[in-house]
Amino acid sequence: MAGDGFGVVAVAIDEATESVRGLAEGITYPVLMDPDHVLTELYAISNVPAVVWIDERGRIARPNASEFGSDMFSEYSGRTRQGHFDQVRAWVRRGVVPDDAGSEVADLDDDELAARLHFRLAAHLRRTGDEDGAASHFDAAARLAPLDFTVVRAAMPLRGGDPFGEEFFALLEHYQAAGSPFHGISPSRHAG
Amino acid sequence: MKTITILGEEVTTVSGEWADGRPLIKPEDLPAATGWTLKPEGLCRGDQCVMVGDGSAIRVGDKLDLAAVANAADQPALVDADAGVVVVGRPNAARRAAVHDRLAPDFTLADLEGVSHRLSDYADKKRLLVAFSSW
Repeated sequence: MAGDGFGVVAVAIDEATESVRGLAEGITYPVLMDPDHVLTELYAISNVPAVVWIDERGRIARPNASEFGSDMFSEYSGRTRQGHFDQVRAWVRRGVVPDDAGSEVADLDDDELAARLHFRLAAHLRRTGDEDGAASHFDAAARLAPLDFTVVRAAMPLRGGDPFGEEFFALLEHYQAAGSPFHGISPSRHAG
Repeated sequence: MKTITILGEEVTTVSGEWADGRPLIKPEDLPAATGWTLKPEGLCRGDQCVMVGDGSAIRVGDKLDLAAVANAADQPALVDADAGVVVVGRPNAARRAAVHDRLAPDFTLADLEGVSHRLSDYADKKRLLVAFSSW
């Protein structure tokens, strides 16, 4: 869709530059690094992927939605890559937005906001070699926002854990038991 | 005097002191540390000013409390006196504009080669903003 007045800006909620570089191989649009999770604060993002449609005037045409670049999770999400692509094309070419574009995104509450500040401080302390200080703020962040993937799962690799291992599945179980609280258009809302 | 590290839009340091866990600096150091200047009309940055009344919420003696200054400017703050750090979040108004008014907050971040990009560099186009990660 290049040349249609359309572009993509990708932001990695991540500090693992080399891992992101691997994921970004062959991608021609800008891939930005957000090690301090600024985007999750500005857009009330609680998990990735989260895709926001922004129009020519800087207005949000469709808010945070869980859209995957592959169909690996289609069975879980009820969404396909092609389905999202077709919707984006209709928006770019004809200005048509899907029915869910008017969905509201819940604002962050005070605890979720504080969790982001604790995460940022923990990541900073870790970079400066203060592992104990980092651990205490990662813990504080997780207490404040225990089901927020950008807080809890993102911290796993920074704490020597495995974001694809047992602790991730434990988080997923808690998250689903709590009704999968997602800030934006979640997989369950697609299905509904 | 101690060095206080501020994690805001940038990481900056300022000379100050901690009193009962509160990060205090001299008013004249505020602009370099935070971008805000204390004027008779309030806390000002560019052409924007926030009223702070008699200033009692942000003043401790002849010093200013950095966290209170952030809160007065509607930015969340977190202090860790042991680490000597104050974390200042983005203005709450920016997120509320996104959530309630559907105005996309602008931001500046570096790409994989360290080159800065602003979301608004791509204005006048329809854009997909895609948040992803390796975790």
